[in-house]
Amino acid sequence: MWGTEWPRYEVIKQDTERSLPQMVGSVHAADPEHALLVARHVFVRRPSAYALFVAPAEAFFHVTQEGLRDPMALEMPEGEAEAYWVFAKRSHRRSMVYGDLVGRFLAKSPGEAVKEALLQTQGVAFWAVPERVILGTEPKAEVIESWFAPAKDKTYRLQSYYGLITAKEMEDA
Amino acid sequence: MLDPYLKEALIRKLTALADDEVVLAQRLSEWVAHAPILEEDIAIANLAQDELGHAKLYLELRQELDGSDPDQVVFLRDPLDYGNAVLVELPRGDWAFTMVRQYLFDAYEGLWLREAASSRYAPLAEVAARILKEERFHLKHSSLWVERLALGTEESHRRAQEALDLLFPYARQLFRPLEGEEALVEAGFVPDLKALEGPYLEEVGSFLKGVGLRVPEGGYVPKSRREHTEHLWSLLAEMQSVARWDREAKAW
Amino acid sequence: MVRLRIGYPEDPDYGERLAEFEARIARGEKIEPGDWMPAEYRRQLIRMISQHAHSEWVGMLPEGAWIPRAPSLRRKLILLAKVQDEAGHGQYLYHAAETLGITREEMVEALLSGKAKYSNIFNYPTLTWADIGIIGWLVDGMAIKNQTMLAQCSYGPYSRAMVRICAEETFHHKQGKEAVLLYAKGTRKQRQMVQDALNRWWWPTLMMAGPHDSESPHTPLLLRWGIKTKTNDQIRQEFLNEHVPELLEAGLSIPDPDLRYDEKTGNWLHGPILWEEFWKVIGGEGPMNRHRLLARRRAHEEGRWVREALEAHARQRLAQAAD
Repeated sequence: MWGTEWPRYEVIKQDTERSLPQMVGSVHAADPEHALLVARHVFVRRPSAYALFVAPAEAFFHVTQEGLRDPMALEMPEGEAEAYWVFAKRSHRRSMVYGDLVGRFLAKSPGEAVKEALLQTQGVAFWAVPERVILGTEPKAEVIESWFAPAKDKTYRLQSYYGLITAKEMEDA
Repeated sequence: MLDPYLKEALIRKLTALADDEVVLAQRLSEWVAHAPILEEDIAIANLAQDELGHAKLYLELRQELDGSDPDQVVFLRDPLDYGNAVLVELPRGDWAFTMVRQYLFDAYEGLWLREAASSRYAPLAEVAARILKEERFHLKHSSLWVERLALGTEESHRRAQEALDLLFPYARQLFRPLEGEEALVEAGFVPDLKALEGPYLEEVGSFLKGVGLRVPEGGYVPKSRREHTEHLWSLLAEMQSVARWDREAKAW
Repeated sequence: MVRLRIGYPEDPDYGERLAEFEARIARGEKIEPGDWMPAEYRRQLIRMISQHAHSEWVGMLPEGAWIPRAPSLRRKLILLAKVQDEAGHGQYLYHAAETLGITREEMVEALLSGKAKYSNIFNYPTLTWADIGIIGWLVDGMAIKNQTMLAQCSYGPYSRAMVRICAEETFHHKQGKEAVLLYAKGTRKQRQMVQDALNRWWWPTLMMAGPHDSESPHTPLLLRWGIKTKTNDQIRQEFLNEHVPELLEAGLSIPDPDLRYDEKTGNWLHGPILWEEFWKVIGGEGPMNRHRLLARRRAHEEGRWVREALEAHARQRLAQAAD
């Protein structure tokens, strides 16, 4: 876990109040609070966001559609029942599709959580992570304002801010 | 219409505010590609961009008053006319030095901007409110770092303490008013720095002690914004070098 | 944690699984972490993706050097954003490689020890402000051709990273072009500066597309497995056809006396590439190779106490929480 590069945290981003949280990538950070801060720097540069969440990469259980063909894939030792966030990737075709949050499921193991999710949805890959290890930004106005809103104002980061100039236009200018 | 004396004072103040941001951004950008880990390269570039963005906002306020071009003010003004605080011109040092400096500056800005958001000079109130949103996040970043370095290892603690010993007196300069600033305070245009110093010392004092750092006593506090160290000249020489290299260039 | 399923030729079911794997790729499906994949597929991808990541990271050095000297607020902001984007791209790419089971630490170690490669183009120095514009227009222009192609790549995380990167790279490309067009029609000093930059970056940019197809042994396998969807020469040709007319229209001259337009094919044909230089630079004898590695090593070394401090702090917190 502790090489020279700090542990990995998966990052989940929720674009607007109405959108589903999505797994967008990961960051290397020293602790959950640091990971959240770093995630904001890395993943909320141009588009604005509503909320961010991070959780240690090693806490994620992952299984692909192919993996699910194995009847034992979701069988594992059970613990106390707790809430799991389950994400699903819906399709292989669209390359921009990330894991979308399917829902929160009470289960005794990540495998059981995925089983519950499968009752509600299809997918080509699933991830399950215990809610207890997730750290997120509070959906308070003050946080949204200082963490995420400024990105909206940074118009110089948007392509449309710079018109496309051709050599002819330069000559005429 | 603004009284000419007030206008001059406001121009001076806005320029000094911009100078702080420009010089600080310069020091921050020196870290890009050299930070301790890739994620921090991204973070520090973010901070530098934000600070430059703030400088631009202040200079655009000035432009509304005297028509001056922000690029001229930054890249072609005589270096001897720069009015930044000494705190921001000091070389970047190690990561602890940069983070402690950032923390001391962010905490001051937070207090100042919160007051400035109710400035009677409406354009400044609006700009302050916008900048304040970002500064809150900056303060979260720098205070998180100072805490971790102060409490981390003996080495990181030592480096943080050494940085604080050097930087703290310079932070006091942030609360010294500029020439003519009293009139601006009276007009309700800018916060009263003297009234902010107490809360600042309390806030940073309690935070720093809380993470086991010793707040130094005494130390040299520059008396005016015309006072600088030997470092400013080379910083500005590099920053202005390309713009000055071709004075005939109409656009870059 | 993702459990990787890697197949080796010795495995009894290798032939069957390989056929299924290749059929998936032919159907246009993405291979995801956890799916069965041949060991060679994984090896090639790790090599390509980590090289790409290292290139983004090392590439920050030549451009980052000019941030302190940018001649206007707008240019400074743009360059800061660009270099930051590059760091972000490196970050996405390291993540994509990590999904294949290699750690970032292993990749960083390989870079710092000199074992891993990165794009040759960054072994050249940025000598003037105009280099920044030329890099944005030409170097990023070539990178976009390559990345657009890789966005079709069969490996999900890599293709997704490419889509994101392409969008941001297009931004850099436009800005570089805008700057070069401005200086090409500017003062005498600006014009000379930008022509000089073009003279120095032209051939290294053409070499970025890699050796000629006839000299690229990996290409057929990479094509079959959807890791590449175009050859080096195809990429190079696309680049030339787009950029040559625009450079000429801007009033710049291209340092290739043999460059000519072929009516029949509609292609711009370039003169002979001096591959000797390419191999020399790749082998470590370029102008900036040692400096790039030295800079990365130094940053890494000087960051050691910082990383240790954060680790110590995190452990303290965990210990406290346990009490």
